Amino acid sequence: MREERLKKILLAAAAGLTSIFCLAPFIYMVLTSLSGNPDFLLPTKSFTLTLANFTAVIFSESAHFMAYLRNSLIISAVTAVASVFLASLAAYSLTRLPLPGKTVLLLSILALSMFPPISLISYLFKIMSGLGWVNTYAGLILPYIAWTMPLSLWILVSYFAQVPMDLDRSARIDGASRFQTLIKIILPVAAPGVFSTALLVFIFAFNEFLFALMLTVDYRSRTIPVGIALFEGIHGQIPWGEIMAAATITTIPVVILTLIFQKRIVQGLTRGAVKQ
Amino acid sequence: MSFLDREFLSGCAFLLPLVIFISALILLPVLGTFLDSLQRDLPYLPTAFVGLDNYLAIFRDGGFWDSVRFTTLFVLVSVPLEVTLGMIIALVLNETFPGRAALRAMVLIPWAIPAAVSGRIFELIYNYSYGVANYVTHLLGVGPVNWLGTDLGAFAAVVLADVWKTTPFAAIILLAGLAAIDEDLHRQAQVDRANFVQRFFKITLPVLKPVVVVTLLFRTVDALRVFDVIFVLTGGGPGGSTDAVSLFAYTYYAAGDFGYGATISVLLFFVALGFSLAYIKMARFGEELK
Repeated sequence: MREERLKKILLAAAAGLTSIFCLAPFIYMVLTSLSGNPDFLLPTKSFTLTLANFTAVIFSESAHFMAYLRNSLIISAVTAVASVFLASLAAYSLTRLPLPGKTVLLLSILALSMFPPISLISYLFKIMSGLGWVNTYAGLILPYIAWTMPLSLWILVSYFAQVPMDLDRSARIDGASRFQTLIKIILPVAAPGVFSTALLVFIFAFNEFLFALMLTVDYRSRTIPVGIALFEGIHGQIPWGEIMAAATITTIPVVILTLIFQKRIVQGLTRGAVKQ
Repeated sequence: MSFLDREFLSGCAFLLPLVIFISALILLPVLGTFLDSLQRDLPYLPTAFVGLDNYLAIFRDGGFWDSVRFTTLFVLVSVPLEVTLGMIIALVLNETFPGRAALRAMVLIPWAIPAAVSGRIFELIYNYSYGVANYVTHLLGVGPVNWLGTDLGAFAAVVLADVWKTTPFAAIILLAGLAAIDEDLHRQAQVDRANFVQRFFKITLPVLKPVVVVTLLFRTVDALRVFDVIFVLTGGGPGGSTDAVSLFAYTYYAAGDFGYGATISVLLFFVALGFSLAYIKMARFGEELK
């Protein structure tokens, strides 16, 4: 059939172009990070393989990349666990208990998550300055928990709603408290969903930029996206090799996480964004 | 105390942490920003209530209207591009072919990389003397393009970097919509001898329309508040030509002018809220609780 063949050719071309589109900048980043000179594409220059950029980034005390990365990992991990735990309490309440105005509450919370971050950052900065928490982990983790809670809540509600009510009813008859029912029955049954939620929150916190830009000052709390964005080098010329090495070190863990858990991520994202 | 009252109280108790976090760290800051927009709030000067003065000043501020024009153009160009490309990728991923799982994973890579980091990668891509963008234009026989130094070049650069980063998200949402379309519809059309292009426009697209609208609105809300990629890539330049509204407000915050910055933020807030409410209505959220 001619149409079938045409379709196959178009499909192969589109798949090829899609993979080039998605991978090319990523590959260019890795190549530059491994090159002794960032201008290896010039006809007069050539690619020289080296790990110098990586050793510079990892061992340079003054660049603080490793401190930024550590801050990012700790802040994102604490945010993910706290946001999912606190949101699961609320999701339990919204799916299990008779409260008036549930839908309105849930929709208002969804609307909150779509606020432009610029419309709260200045006052958030004032609050954190007042508390003396600018440039501390707490000063970033607490706003991140609040900022990711709507997302956590939405995804968790859709997972909790699928856990059969009979399961927690029988646990309650056996004398378990509501909190025990949540921890011992619902969370384990919904574990895959809870895990995808935590993963998404981790990635969102890891990638967040504006809050981190305003609420951190130096290596004691600055996160890696801000560190990379503001890194200009000390010798006048932008040290592209080192920046790309830092970018590679930053993105490889996220990319590996994404590749391993792609099904969970897609599931979480589509639950958070659109209902079918 | 009746059983229902106890249920109600424990329900409230479970909601408490969420309510506290959201009130203290989202609602309060937004209200504070509203209040700040009615004040003169500058360093080294006593804060004073000025009513709507900031708003009146903004409406006469050419820089503000430039940022509104840029943001509008940015949304109008990047969002349709993202949704169209996302649709093509979703259609590809909805077919069965060898390597589909690998491609599906690859599509997530741009989404997973922090926007500030991909901004840096694109900054190098656009480097005038040795970036890969001008390497490609050279291969195509076009002279080097001054991507980040000219108004049009910087606009294209920012749109392209944003399209790269956010198209995967559009693709994933659209793919979920495609997967839900009834196979029988297609089989019927195949019997009617419609080719795959006709099938897309006559069957798939009409059924998928709600999902497309939702994706468009969601991307619009996100593109309206664009910040990271522009901050890194152009810093609003050259000469303020890529100064998004968020970045324009940030410049005032960074300079210590909180009143004026807050006023810009409040205006952006209401525009974004309008699109958010449309999105929430169109996506028909909240039905699973009924």
